[in-house]
Amino acid sequence: MNTPLPFSTTAVTQANRNRESVIRALLGIVTVLLVLPLLAILGLLVKHGAPAMTLDFLLTAPAAGMTAGGIFPAIVGTLWLVGVSLAVAAPIGVLAAIYLNEYAGDHWGTRIVHLAIVNLAGVPSIVHALFGVGAFVLFLHLGTSILSASLTLAIMTLPVIIASTKEALAAVPMSFRQACWVLGASRWQTIRHVVLPNSIQGILTGVILQVSRAAGETAPVMFTGAAFYLPFLPQSVHDQCMALSMHLFTLSTQVPGVPEALPYATALVLVALVMSVNLTSILLRSYLRSRRKW
Amino acid sequence: MVSTANKIEIRGLRAAYPGKVVLEDVSLDVREGEILAIIGPAGAGKTSLLNCINRMSDMIPSMKVEGSIRIDGREVRDFRDPSELRRRIGVVFPLPVGLPMSIFDNVAFAPRMGGMHDKKKLAELVERCLRQAALFDEVKDRLGDLGTRLSGGQQQRLTIARALSLDPEILCLDEFSIAVDPVTTMKIEEVIKELKQRMTIILATNLVLQARRLGDRTALFLDGRLVEIAPTETIFSRHTADVRTFQYVQGVFG
Repeated sequence: MNTPLPFSTTAVTQANRNRESVIRALLGIVTVLLVLPLLAILGLLVKHGAPAMTLDFLLTAPAAGMTAGGIFPAIVGTLWLVGVSLAVAAPIGVLAAIYLNEYAGDHWGTRIVHLAIVNLAGVPSIVHALFGVGAFVLFLHLGTSILSASLTLAIMTLPVIIASTKEALAAVPMSFRQACWVLGASRWQTIRHVVLPNSIQGILTGVILQVSRAAGETAPVMFTGAAFYLPFLPQSVHDQCMALSMHLFTLSTQVPGVPEALPYATALVLVALVMSVNLTSILLRSYLRSRRKW
Repeated sequence: MVSTANKIEIRGLRAAYPGKVVLEDVSLDVREGEILAIIGPAGAGKTSLLNCINRMSDMIPSMKVEGSIRIDGREVRDFRDPSELRRRIGVVFPLPVGLPMSIFDNVAFAPRMGGMHDKKKLAELVERCLRQAALFDEVKDRLGDLGTRLSGGQQQRLTIARALSLDPEILCLDEFSIAVDPVTTMKIEEVIKELKQRMTIILATNLVLQARRLGDRTALFLDGRLVEIAPTETIFSRHTADVRTFQYVQGVFG
């Protein structure tokens, strides 16, 4: 019998090789399928929305009972809502995550807190909306206002900010902390000088991603502070405001006789806003990763 | 210089995690200015002992410590701020840890945390510590480079320089050579002999020959208990008090 040449193909290696190419193709196809809907949505929005997409559209208020004009107040309103909610949620979320990851031990008390955070993250946004009405609008007498809506958004984004910040902190090796502690550095000194500088990239990414989520939510702002139509811009957090997500809902379902291009163009602006925020987060992450120190 | 005064007195030390005792009834003295080598296989309690001395055990919530450890007659448990205690005890871990900052900042870290910000003094201090750790000549032109980018052996010497930055009275080395090449190990051993002039050194190692080269006295630990502590030449002779010491040193088990 002939001895096979070294490295020659046997039935087993051939079968392995075939299986490998099948699986590779399968995984590739799934990945492509994943990207297709996104491209389809963008294509559709651009195709139908482009005719209405003018500078005027971006910089004027709606007119003629929403059937004409632009979306300027809605853009401004969304920026207000996102900005205020972030100003509330980011510091609280980051500080809470620092406490949970760096100070709190592992006992029943912290386990309940973790459980609460995980569950809070899973609560549907409409429930957050109703909570916002009850807690902020009515109980705290904040009325329907930017403040109420932003606080509702903050409650909604908080658990995710805490979770992503905790993850970023936990990614800093324990050995760095121990090395600092044996040198007589306190817990806070260690956090301030070693842990935070080396986890800031992950913390910022997590926070920024919540911006895009807050910008797109409709239900939480609908009952708490976003208005159907306002001819003026908000002057303070106690005013109501319009919001892009809410405006899109209004244009698509509540007002008869809206030209087709208007809701598409509004959606395009909203998607562009969200995508640019996400892009910022990606760029920031890659910039900070390039300066990674270990 | 080795004196007869005790720097550290440990009495009836017991340390345990839930369901596992790691140190049981340990009593020993560390003399001022000596190198005490602690040998024993993995899990013998060497690292736990060091963790108890500088109260790093506080940072491990599940670890319970009982018994007495006195440094210069003062109970370590009575330090209200363990940082104060840790600043007097330099520690070198088994695996080198360069902090994610420049070489200079690595060494200047502890003095800065202690409130020292005079640039000139810091520069002198950093150079002195790096020289003592036999690293200065290799890094003097790139003190601004990241400490984490040095080779393993260099990072371990950086760790030693950092441990020296507070001019500690006690230096604990925990299997420092585990991730270091033989040449660097010999360099560090020379450093340790130099440092002995000025501080008390505890050297935990599972290389018995390293203990023989460096230790004034040697202690053998097995399963969390102190088996024997004696002058190094006794430990490495036929006349050990406990037969297990002779067997361990000779490599009968380990």
